[in-house]
Amino acid sequence: MNRSLGKALGPWALVIGLLSGCSGSMPRPMRDLDALLLQAGPSQAPSLAGPWLALIGHRHNRDQVQLLDLNQRHPVPLPGLNRPDAQPLSVSVDSSGQRLAVVRQREGRTELVLYRRELMGLEPIAMAPPGVPRRVALRADGRELTVEVSRNGEWQVDLIAVP
Amino acid sequence: MGLVALLVTLLLAGCGSASWRRRNAGSVGPTSNRQDPALSGNGQLLASLVSRGERDTVILQEQRSGRLLPLPQLQRLEPHRSPSLSWNGRYLALVGQQGDRRLVVILDRARGQLHRIPLPGDVELERLSLAPDGQRLAVGLLSNGRPALQLIDLSGLLEADRPGGLTSLGGGVP
Repeated sequence: MNRSLGKALGPWALVIGLLSGCSGSMPRPMRDLDALLLQAGPSQAPSLAGPWLALIGHRHNRDQVQLLDLNQRHPVPLPGLNRPDAQPLSVSVDSSGQRLAVVRQREGRTELVLYRRELMGLEPIAMAPPGVPRRVALRADGRELTVEVSRNGEWQVDLIAVP
Repeated sequence: MGLVALLVTLLLAGCGSASWRRRNAGSVGPTSNRQDPALSGNGQLLASLVSRGERDTVILQEQRSGRLLPLPQLQRLEPHRSPSLSWNGRYLALVGQQGDRRLVVILDRARGQLHRIPLPGDVELERLSLAPDGQRLAVGLLSNGRPALQLIDLSGLLEADRPGGLTSLGGGVP
């Protein structure tokens, strides 16, 4: 399956590679990191900040939040974040790589949580007024997050200061 | 280690709920629906999607004044999806559409310049994330129905937008 994806993306890498050869101002695919991601399996919902890439990857037959250090080219452990009974839907990381905001489904409910890596701790963030969160984005400095919330049949945007 | 993590979690869960300071971004125009929010790294700008007609359109709002900033370069590329902002909001990246084809564009608001990022025709673009300094882009896509990520180095294309750097210029229009 990885081979077929690599085949599908191959022409793109070639086109961009050729164009970047003609001009110094073209975007360039990061082939070594792409290969690393490809090897790790299906991935989605990227969030980039500083040297950090947070994503939702399908590993061991379930979706999990993962954090990669792009400089070191390896995943960082996130003890206490991924649970077998939780399905992550959206993730965002700040530029220090210390805070991750995650929307996940667990026990039939959709919840927003903030994970602090230095504490290995999860804080649930209740929606007020009540609503169902969907997509979350942390500010790069980690001091605020914004989340899309379904309330009374409408989508709204909340801003929440991170203490 | 596990016990410590559990205690920390319980403490945070017990005392954290009161300390969250929140506000609603409010409604814009005739619709109160807003989706897919993204903040600039310094928190001064909020990008989100609103439905205009049947098409999702990105709006960019100054947080201090509530003023909407014009984005004329992104017209005719609707529906928009997955907006992402750099640190000072100089760059706004999103997935747009031209005809039947989705494309990744990055608006340099300081120069009023729209960059189209070449991608293959046989993948379906889903989500993207622009690094706060504007030097990297992560694209979430479907290839043969399988989700995958691609990383793109933008350092040859865009000047870095770092904390305290060039202030954005209000939509890139005179």
